[in-house]
Amino acid sequence: MNKRLELPKKSFWSPASALKYLVKKPVTIRVPKTYREASPRYRGFHVNDWDKCVGCGTCAEVCPTDAIHMVEFEEIPTEPGKRNWRPAIDYGRCSFCALCVDVCTTGSLQMTREYIHISRDPNTFFFVPNEKGIHSVEYPVGYERDEDSDLLDLDRVEMPVIEPQERVTSFIEMVRGYSKEQAIAEASRCVECELCRSACPAQMHIPQYIHQIWKDNLDEGLRYLYKTNPLPEVCGRVCTHKCETACSIGHRGEPVAIRWLKRYIADSVPLERYHEILDAKPVKPAGKSVGVIGSGPAGLSAAYYLVLMGYDVTIYEAKSRPGGVMRYGIPRYRLPDDVLDKDIAFIESLGVRFVMNTKVGVDITLSELKQRHDAIVLAVGFTKGRSTKVPGSDHPMVLQALPLLEKIRDYLRGDAPKPAVTDDVVVIGGGNVAMDIARSVARLQKQEYGKVSVKVACLESEKEMPADKEEIEEALEEGVEIHPTWGPRQFLVENGELKGVELKRCIRVFDEKGKFNPIYNENERKTLTASMVIEAIGQAPDYSLLPDEICQKLDFVGARLLTDEYGQTSIPWLFAAGDIVHGPDIIHAIEDGHRAAKGVDTFLTGGNANE
Amino acid sequence: MNLKELISELKNKYRVLDEKFNDPNHTFVSIVPDQLHAALGELKSYGWKHLSTISCVDWIDDNEFELVYHLWNWDSRSQISLKTRISRSNPHFPTIMHIFPTAKYYERDIHEFFGVEFDGNSEMEPLFLEFWDDIPPMRKDFDPLKYSREKFGERDYKVPFADFIVEEGDQK
Amino acid sequence: MKEFELFFGPNHPGMHGNFSVHLRVDGDTVVKAKPVPGFLHRGFEKLMERRLWIQNLALIPRICVPEPDINEMVYAMAVEKIAGIEVPEKAHWIRTLILELGRIAAHLFSIGGIGGATGLYTFPYWATADRDSVLDIFEHISGARIYHMYIIIGGVRKDLPEGIDSLIRETMDYLESRIPEYIDLVMKNRIIQTRLRGKLVLTREMCEEMCITGVGLRATGVDYDIRKYDPYAAYEWVDFDIPVGEDGDAFTRGYLKLLEIQQSIRIIRQVLDKMPKKGPVNVKLPGNALKWRIPPGEAYAHVESSRGEYGYYVVSTGETTPYRVHVRGASYPQGLYGIEKYLPGTRIEDVPLWLGTMDVCPPEIDR
Repeated sequence: MNKRLELPKKSFWSPASALKYLVKKPVTIRVPKTYREASPRYRGFHVNDWDKCVGCGTCAEVCPTDAIHMVEFEEIPTEPGKRNWRPAIDYGRCSFCALCVDVCTTGSLQMTREYIHISRDPNTFFFVPNEKGIHSVEYPVGYERDEDSDLLDLDRVEMPVIEPQERVTSFIEMVRGYSKEQAIAEASRCVECELCRSACPAQMHIPQYIHQIWKDNLDEGLRYLYKTNPLPEVCGRVCTHKCETACSIGHRGEPVAIRWLKRYIADSVPLERYHEILDAKPVKPAGKSVGVIGSGPAGLSAAYYLVLMGYDVTIYEAKSRPGGVMRYGIPRYRLPDDVLDKDIAFIESLGVRFVMNTKVGVDITLSELKQRHDAIVLAVGFTKGRSTKVPGSDHPMVLQALPLLEKIRDYLRGDAPKPAVTDDVVVIGGGNVAMDIARSVARLQKQEYGKVSVKVACLESEKEMPADKEEIEEALEEGVEIHPTWGPRQFLVENGELKGVELKRCIRVFDEKGKFNPIYNENERKTLTASMVIEAIGQAPDYSLLPDEICQKLDFVGARLLTDEYGQTSIPWLFAAGDIVHGPDIIHAIEDGHRAAKGVDTFLTGGNANE
Repeated sequence: MNLKELISELKNKYRVLDEKFNDPNHTFVSIVPDQLHAALGELKSYGWKHLSTISCVDWIDDNEFELVYHLWNWDSRSQISLKTRISRSNPHFPTIMHIFPTAKYYERDIHEFFGVEFDGNSEMEPLFLEFWDDIPPMRKDFDPLKYSREKFGERDYKVPFADFIVEEGDQK
Repeated sequence: MKEFELFFGPNHPGMHGNFSVHLRVDGDTVVKAKPVPGFLHRGFEKLMERRLWIQNLALIPRICVPEPDINEMVYAMAVEKIAGIEVPEKAHWIRTLILELGRIAAHLFSIGGIGGATGLYTFPYWATADRDSVLDIFEHISGARIYHMYIIIGGVRKDLPEGIDSLIRETMDYLESRIPEYIDLVMKNRIIQTRLRGKLVLTREMCEEMCITGVGLRATGVDYDIRKYDPYAAYEWVDFDIPVGEDGDAFTRGYLKLLEIQQSIRIIRQVLDKMPKKGPVNVKLPGNALKWRIPPGEAYAHVESSRGEYGYYVVSTGETTPYRVHVRGASYPQGLYGIEKYLPGTRIEDVPLWLGTMDVCPPEIDR
């Protein structure tokens, strides 16, 4: 380039060239006569699909100018994972950056191409966006989130698991757990909207402990866990994690792995440090004693909170080890003994007494217990299996899932000989217990015969199956066959030998009201060969420990005991918790135990638990 | 001489506390306060004639201010940011106006926002903030939200977040 | 003659935005000039320390109103340097496109401003209307005309929309055809020639003393341009010249801006030709944006804005918010030190020309 800037030469005609501007089309437009359409990506006023919006409040969280506030609308129904909050926008503050749109967990919030609002009334600049937009005039959608602009992390940090071919050969815990880096990465996906809390039966402080993981402060995280749950190791593995269904990230991506994160905290803090971190000790001795029948999740939870309230707590357990379903029901590849021991050891270290091998009603009567203690918490769980009662179900090779699971766990601990399984097994049932027994049998078969032959038949379709999705997937990976929508017609016995199962097609499981009421097509049948059948169609309580005169005083709803909110039965000193109140679910049982503890405390300090 | 060699030469002459390369052409060098002027002068004679700006960082936990002099060399196409730390309790530092005259306003800026006195730079009256009546605002212990609430009061406006419809014809 | 004190601005037609110069004048000659900034001080640096890394996206473009993209760019560059983020190739190209479009818009606005300072009002009308055609492109790409909030940490926010190619090319053709008209209308204009030629002459030494960059420096015969000297984005991969003048006067500076627009058009055409059609436009930091953490570290990033070197010094301590962000506005030296030092001796009517041709941008000085 030449350094001295010279202008181009002036043309002789240049004055005349100005004439062309006389006929040039103006670049301006006449407003408001002509409406200028904004571009397709225009960041105009907001619209919000109220049906999609769950009120998570992440938009308000990300707003750099504090322009978004969540407003409660009482007319909107709430349910776990859905709040009746909706974002309200102060257009005096809004900077139209659209971060709220990019971060929206459900995708309900968008911006339109509408961009003019003029009013003398400043209050009209506050606006709760709905589907209609600020002036109830329909405008095309403007700015939308896309894959590139998404501000959420939709993909879960993959949990390291042992490969199916390898894990099916043994009962080693298949889920390995997160490393510190993985846990922090997973925790950083959480938007801390707290929607999960309402879905958790125990109302655990989920966002809070996830936040502590993210800050790498596990001590504080553990404190949050123990506020509502004394069995974090167990729940970190086998909880039904309803929280993850409610997780707002799950609307567009994979929900935050809340269960695994809980497990990460519990796994990472050694038991020796629990006392120092939690500083858990009884407030003051209450001078009264409570007996807890059953050492399952509900019993342990009740005992933990009662002992912290200063009560003298004794747990009576029929079996030789504490833990109930966690010790004898759930297979070891999902819940190893040592982690359960860790949770129980901490509870025991607080001063809870365990009386093992003592079956109430056999070794000791309930009235004897009543004499020893001021209150009794009944937490015996569902221990009896249900039978299909179809022809042939009385054959000795037709077994119940729960006793077999118990035998397998006893065998793995070295407490009992190996239970016999044949090389061709059919499991009846579609719940988690069915999956547990199917996968346990598969492992035994693999060890014994080198191959897996387990067939699961259940009434429900694949979508309706009550078992967790991942349980079903993992079972399939391990070589278990699943036959959905088939119910047992009869078990085929020839010459006293079990040969197979005849199935009939199930057309419908639940009626319009959602009640269990299956309808079959008796003509559509198929047969599965089997030399052993395991029934896993549900569990029932065993109330044989209750004397008749007590039973008569109690109220039952079906198989469940009717209690008040705090577990108190119609007999004031008798409280109930867990499966016998709410049906089988560990996290529910823990919450029941917690509430029963509160109920017992109110009862023993005088007064009604409801007060 | 590339930047790495230059830095090692600087290290021979001055007490360099720390050095960090963002990439081969961009570096941060920490130096003791009383040698900073000499180092700046020497760098200027090597071609670091362009002072981009002077930054100040309040390291309140260490009770120190950090002054960062960003230099750029058009010939070697490289950046050196010379850093030095001074006490936060009575922050004083000699001016660099005799080396870089343009530092005058950068120093005044830092004086206003951090309260660092630059000895030798006489014009230190406020530049941006009129009637300022608190500690220098860029210090970490200054809370703007609290200041604003105390100064202007909480504006408690009730927001009628109700749907409303603007009369027809008002828009478009 | 007696000396007077004259408050030039903030309300003055020749003043660029909210800025004031307190003059002592002897007749028409300036004896003493004192810059008075602060009318636009919004405390952005403090606000940024109190906001998440992503939230600052809404703040940074507002630091410089006429050319917001450079703020987004240097912020992203500084953070990427600290965190060691590799930006995907396509994002580099898109960023280049955005920055050059921004340069055209800023230059048009700025040279239009010269018309305002000299009383030639056709020029600002033309320039503002033509700048709007660039803003239309921005609106299509980012969804907003002025504050684009488009360049983010790790790349750009969204891919270019379908069919934007032809819109950009058409606009570039149009703008290119306008440049001879601008030269005819303004640069050859007798009034402009009289008012700008030989006025406010700066030498290279004066510029180096003030640490001035941009057209002010390039009008003195050097081709210092950070795009060439410390390349970023895709500038290494495109062909362009740095227009240089020798006279160092206001006219040269104004003319250089027009010539730079030509170069920008050239760059934009190359970007459209060479840019990969597919590929990612950003890399995501782990976790959601509310929990982005940038590892501890510091970086000074600078780019060539339409007014010269524009830099951000960013310090991170590994938290979700920056520990310190310091903005080096491109016009800081000429707007404060330059006014004080080199306005005395000129005439009153030259004051707006200093602000206009040296591109004093009050919002970036005040921050």
